[in-house]
Amino acid sequence: MAHVLVVDDSAAVRNEVSSFFTDNGITVLTAYDGKDGLEKLKGDPAVKLVFADVNMPVMDGLTMVEKIRSDLKNPVTIIMLTTENDPNMKGRGKEAGVKGWIVKPFNGPSVLAHVKKIVGV
Amino acid sequence: MQEESTLVSKVFVHETNTEAFEALKVFFRDNNLVGVRSSNTGVLEVLNANIDLGAILLSDEPDENGKSGIDLGIEIHRMRPELPIFLRLSANSTLDDLPEYTQSVFAASYTLDTLDTLKEQTDKYLFNTHYPSVIVRGIEEITLDSLNTAIRDMDIKCDTPFLVRDKLIIGELFSLIPIESEWCRGYMMLQTEDIEIQRMIQANLTGLSSEESDFRGVNSVLSEICNLVWGGIKSRFFNHNNSEEADSTVKVQVPIIINHAHRYISFGVDDPQLCFRYTIKDKHEKLGPITVYQRFFFHLSWRPEEFKEDEVAVDDMEESGELEFF
Repeated sequence: MAHVLVVDDSAAVRNEVSSFFTDNGITVLTAYDGKDGLEKLKGDPAVKLVFADVNMPVMDGLTMVEKIRSDLKNPVTIIMLTTENDPNMKGRGKEAGVKGWIVKPFNGPSVLAHVKKIVGV
Repeated sequence: MQEESTLVSKVFVHETNTEAFEALKVFFRDNNLVGVRSSNTGVLEVLNANIDLGAILLSDEPDENGKSGIDLGIEIHRMRPELPIFLRLSANSTLDDLPEYTQSVFAASYTLDTLDTLKEQTDKYLFNTHYPSVIVRGIEEITLDSLNTAIRDMDIKCDTPFLVRDKLIIGELFSLIPIESEWCRGYMMLQTEDIEIQRMIQANLTGLSSEESDFRGVNSVLSEICNLVWGGIKSRFFNHNNSEEADSTVKVQVPIIINHAHRYISFGVDDPQLCFRYTIKDKHEKLGPITVYQRFFFHLSWRPEEFKEDEVAVDDMEESGELEFF
């Protein structure tokens, strides 16, 4: 089974999202900013889905996505989980290769079926 | 190529093995570290007196009070979780020999024979950001000039700049201002003690009269220093791009002043602030109520005549929590 990576500078969000997926039988890694997200992704080839915040210190989420595609050349599915709902930002995300966008707060049950399909549960 | 700046970092050391201590002294000298040694009677007292540290070095050998660095590490990690703790191990043991929780307390281990691994760890945890020396020297020059402008007749010096991982507040008075440019974004903070600035005002060493030495006068001195430094940094280090593509909006900033001693915060304006108060009550009446205050400080710009609620955008917005596929 593939793994999920949750990237958010908020410990509360990382805990909420990862606990939900873990309780549903999915293996989850977490990272606290975009730079850490890249490192965690490089270290675990089993990650097939990334949930990422946009506004993070050190490296923001959209910059991380761009680097996942350009530097790591990793086709992992990426869904942004963010307070941002700006069409320009969504456009940048789409151009960078983001597959989905969720405006917080996180609603686990509404995405679970999609996630299970992506990770192969 | 820009030369590396000579930054140091203070590390707290609790080491009772003489050979190890001597080896660490050499290591510190060679690797830009400044050791703060514990005393046998008051390890935690010395630690509490130093709140601008980069790391902690302990040993698994028991000290003169019979306490091992492992137990001390667990205690220190609870108090100062931001500080990486490096554990010197006796030969033939590894961190894997420790229980899982205890392993997580220590950032890394090393032995006297593997000080190169300690160097890797201090580089990773402390010296992991390049600060060009022209910037470090420039900040020091600008700030010394600003302090000399704001404070008369005092001998002002700057210690060797250092890197800190602690997140503890120094003093109870601080001034914050955003630093934004094409190549960097963040904050500058000045921290000091309220009473010390008050004494300088009373001694007529600032631009204020000695009668203005109440906490508002104190705040204004620090705020002005913050402003001078920020202006100097902007002038010297931020590109002045005159091309048409450059954002022509003037990026104004005003220091925020926080004075814990007087429970005071200022954004530099006297206008009333829009405030909301939320009361959170336990439906089952087991917990007392919690009050949350929300305040808005549009001290830099407020042009509501330009606000337009875009009805089309509102209708098109996905409900929060729902996944929108592209």
